[in-house]
Amino acid sequence: MRIAIFDDGAGNVHSLAKVLAARGEVVHEREVAALCDADVAVLPGVGAFDTAMARLGSDAAVLAAALSYGLACLAICLGMQLLFDRSEEGELDGLGVLPGGVQRLTSRRRPHIGWEMVTNATETTLSESGLVWGYYAHSYVCPSKGLHRVTSTSRIEGQVIPATIRSDRILGVQFHPEKSSAPGTAMIRAFLDEVAP
Amino acid sequence: MPSARLIVCLDVRDGRTVKGTRFEDLVDLGDPVDMAAGYEAAGADEVVFLDITASTEGRSTVLDVASRTAAEVFIPLVIGGGIRTLDDARAALNAGADKVCLTSPAVERPELIGEVAVAFGEQCTVANLDAARTDAGGWEVRTHMATGRTGLDVVEWAVECVDRGAGELLVTSVDRDGTRSGYDLELLKAVRDAVAVPIIASGGAGTAAHVIEAFEAGADAALLAGALHDTTLSIEEIKSAMLDAGLRVRTTTSAS
Repeated sequence: MRIAIFDDGAGNVHSLAKVLAARGEVVHEREVAALCDADVAVLPGVGAFDTAMARLGSDAAVLAAALSYGLACLAICLGMQLLFDRSEEGELDGLGVLPGGVQRLTSRRRPHIGWEMVTNATETTLSESGLVWGYYAHSYVCPSKGLHRVTSTSRIEGQVIPATIRSDRILGVQFHPEKSSAPGTAMIRAFLDEVAP
Repeated sequence: MPSARLIVCLDVRDGRTVKGTRFEDLVDLGDPVDMAAGYEAAGADEVVFLDITASTEGRSTVLDVASRTAAEVFIPLVIGGGIRTLDDARAALNAGADKVCLTSPAVERPELIGEVAVAFGEQCTVANLDAARTDAGGWEVRTHMATGRTGLDVVEWAVECVDRGAGELLVTSVDRDGTRSGYDLELLKAVRDAVAVPIIASGGAGTAAHVIEAFEAGADAALLAGALHDTTLSIEEIKSAMLDAGLRVRTTTSAS
């Protein structure tokens, strides 16, 4: 299995790459064409919205089309937010694979940093991994309604936010499974086993 | 609210975990990667490597430690100390740190906070505040392992750090550091009232009750070092006491 991480140097993808390497050959890519050629594309959750979209540049539409046509994708934190039309974090358009806008958290304590329970799960990779606590580090949240299914949630000061979303072969995760200890790494492996057995 | 976090701090010098405030009498405590892995298994929520490497040439050793840790330890990793420029921060993050903790260089050149926050996001920008009590009843920001006087008021500086883009504050009482007499709770309350970002209590932990007091004073996380390293305290017993006190705590099945 060939797994391509979108790595624009905006942060730490070491732990993620290590987990992915348990299931296939991991390559770090900046080029959209190379992401689209992989069995699984991974959008890691590091950096800022506009920086990431600027790096994808004019090829963003190519990646969006590949995702719409069934390219398997693990999208973490910011990576998951890039899938939507837009974000309050930036000025640039998102990938637009999923409709709607990413909004700034309304919680009093912000950014939202720490471990939160992941509940109401219909997400199979969660039940397979036994993940209960996810590590979050973010200030923005994805919409709850749209073409995607919210497959688990967390609660931040009373606000219910999507913890994971699904749209066909795309798994979006708002927390960082690669930083959520053993259950998080098991969750990533479960997704890879599902989309590229 | 997220669960109340326990963060383990390791002082790293030339690639080894050390203990001691004077460079002459440093004691070697072991391999930071092994220690971080052990603390993850015990249920620690996060690990901080504070780089106290004296020489510029030795700087790359902490980056090597970070990449080896990131490949083995799957909880958040923070690197602090010695980050003077945006390139230093980038190097730490690309080596395997999830967040960088900005120390004295950010007091000397506050623009550094904003540069890191814009490039990598406020969620990975931690500002360290070394706070020393003053005769007037407030706290002064100190630098360079608490020896440098700045004249800056800690609460005002905390607000400025957040305005400049810090997403988290590490609040260290230099009066309590190493004393095991408890965190400076008034300091934590004063900073808590002034900012909305998460704050990490640091300096003075000696018992599980001290940790619980810090959370009750408004801290989002408590940092521990010496009392854990010399096994006076364990992560398991602190978390158990926190649960008994009614705090939200991440429990792990692997913790024995």
